[in-house]
Amino acid sequence: MQTRNRIRVEEGRAYWAMVLPAFLIYLLVMAFPIVLSIVLSVSNYDGGKMFGGDAWGFAGLRSYARVFTDPHFWNALKNNAYIVMISVFGQLPLGFVFAYIIYRKLVKWPGFWQGVLYVPNIISVIVVGLLWQTIFSPNGPIAEVMNSMARAGFQSKLELLFTAHGGFTITDDLVQNILNLAGPAASEWFTNPLPELKELILSYEGAPHAELLGDLCNLFVPKWSPEFLTKPNLAMLPILFVILWMYTGMYLILFLANMQKIDVQIIEAARIDGASEWQVMRFIILPSLSGTIVNSAILAISGSLSSFSLIFAMTGGGPSRVTEILSIYMFNNAFLGRPNLPLANAISLIMVAVSFLLIGLTKAVEKRYGGKED
Amino acid sequence: MGEELRTTLVDRLGAIAAKAVAYTLMILFTVMTLYPIFWLVMNSFKSTKEFQVSQLSMPVEPTLSNYVEAWKMGDFALLFPNSILYTVGATLGIVLVSLLAGFAFAKIGSRATKPIYNSFVIGILITAQSLMIPLFLEVNLLGIYNTRIAVLLVYIGTGLPLGVYLATEYIRSIPNALIESARIDGAGFFRIFWKIVLPMAMPVAVTLSILNISNIWNEFALINILVSRTELKSLPLGIYKFSGSLSTDYGKQFAALTIGMIPMLLFYIIFRRQITKGVAAGAVKG
Repeated sequence: MQTRNRIRVEEGRAYWAMVLPAFLIYLLVMAFPIVLSIVLSVSNYDGGKMFGGDAWGFAGLRSYARVFTDPHFWNALKNNAYIVMISVFGQLPLGFVFAYIIYRKLVKWPGFWQGVLYVPNIISVIVVGLLWQTIFSPNGPIAEVMNSMARAGFQSKLELLFTAHGGFTITDDLVQNILNLAGPAASEWFTNPLPELKELILSYEGAPHAELLGDLCNLFVPKWSPEFLTKPNLAMLPILFVILWMYTGMYLILFLANMQKIDVQIIEAARIDGASEWQVMRFIILPSLSGTIVNSAILAISGSLSSFSLIFAMTGGGPSRVTEILSIYMFNNAFLGRPNLPLANAISLIMVAVSFLLIGLTKAVEKRYGGKED
Repeated sequence: MGEELRTTLVDRLGAIAAKAVAYTLMILFTVMTLYPIFWLVMNSFKSTKEFQVSQLSMPVEPTLSNYVEAWKMGDFALLFPNSILYTVGATLGIVLVSLLAGFAFAKIGSRATKPIYNSFVIGILITAQSLMIPLFLEVNLLGIYNTRIAVLLVYIGTGLPLGVYLATEYIRSIPNALIESARIDGAGFFRIFWKIVLPMAMPVAVTLSILNISNIWNEFALINILVSRTELKSLPLGIYKFSGSLSTDYGKQFAALTIGMIPMLLFYIIFRRQITKGVAAGAVKG
């Protein structure tokens, strides 16, 4: 009896000595912030010392009311939904196709493709964000390609005009045709286009023909601008593209790992019985991955909640707040302009609530599919 | 006979077409994946002036000066050691603390196990980024804003849910008989942990390290609100400096981005197999 008691005590001590470090840190980093944001979201705390500073107190649910009536909140939520959608309808199917190609040995060097397609996952999102921001920018490579194409097109049309007008004889007719070709760009440079341009062209007399053509191109070819970065309704597109670019490889790995758990003999037997490749996929591979697919969708939702850094680096939520997602919206409310901490905490809790919704979803999925995915 | 020949022919043609499509897709996406990275590294050797003249051709006069200047401007000599400290410290912390708790949950047991363990499992799906603002207020309240300890604590805390979950599940598979016989020989629980559990749990320790090293090395959102002093910043924060006003100084920006990219690329090239396995194991739940 005595020894059993002693063992009990020893067990209890060891148990708590081992559990407490994890549990205390966990409480400090995850649980306490949730409690704090519950308290602050219904308060009128406005920064400063939390204790012993200016008095602050209960303010009811007005922060929540403000969030739910703020169009920026709904815009941010919509962007989160876009991210989920690009994951579910972009990354998942693509990842599945790639995994299938590798699994069914339709290509050689399986390790190589898998290895390469996962590379973007491993690079810091800040690097990825800044890299693509430059690629999409008006000074980036896409703009360069578009500009040089536009220029080449314009120049060949110009040359045609000159040849049609018998080379280098400058007539009003020719100048008018050039102006027509230039379109609205002409009125940007000249108040009285026809005589002014004619004078300009005549001043090139004697100079090499190519010089004139080059300068006319400089003058009139419109610079390509990445409209999707400044047009509000298109500004999310580059971000969604980069998310697709970055994470498809992760779903490839997930699908492939779970495909490799399928008993090869089943597939071989089906093939011998005359099943087509398509039937193998439709009736063997796809059903055995249903759990993985649902889990990946859940992963996509929690991924949309954690896309802060990429958007912070690419757009910072701009232009004029159209690319905000919930976390950026929260950050901006807490740190930009006049901070509104109760509001930011309310948003934080709304995001936590979405997470809890996901947990419920996972539980339901586990019930449905037996939680056999691990 | 003719019929049979035709079906095999159709089969063969179908297989060739499938292969063609498969290769096209793979090559297309491989180019799309690697070209931007190649483009970045290539342009990091051009002066900003040369970059503006031509972005798509190879550097005519390759220069390393971008790297020298980016290294200085980004304070990378300070940030590299910090990143290493945060990554190694927090990863070791997560692995050790998770394994200890996992051992207690799986092999010692108590009435407290169920609620505490479940609270960790719930935490897997809570996105730490959603707690950014309360965390910021909390570290201020505790007076640990702008300290390394705050960064380490937060990183360990956010890594624990998955860590405890994977560790517990793994240690459950260690035979009880091993631990019981050690108990009968009079070994204490910590001794058993060191001598039996830790060596046997190495695979899960590796998985956890792999998952956390790349996460923590690349982490930006949380450390962004935890420290503001340069001496405490990590690499991603230093790289972010090259957006904003420095972002038109392309040469330096590209050098900084390349500097930020290389350590994880090396890590990936060396540990590719383990990383792939770890991602498949860790992402199923979280």
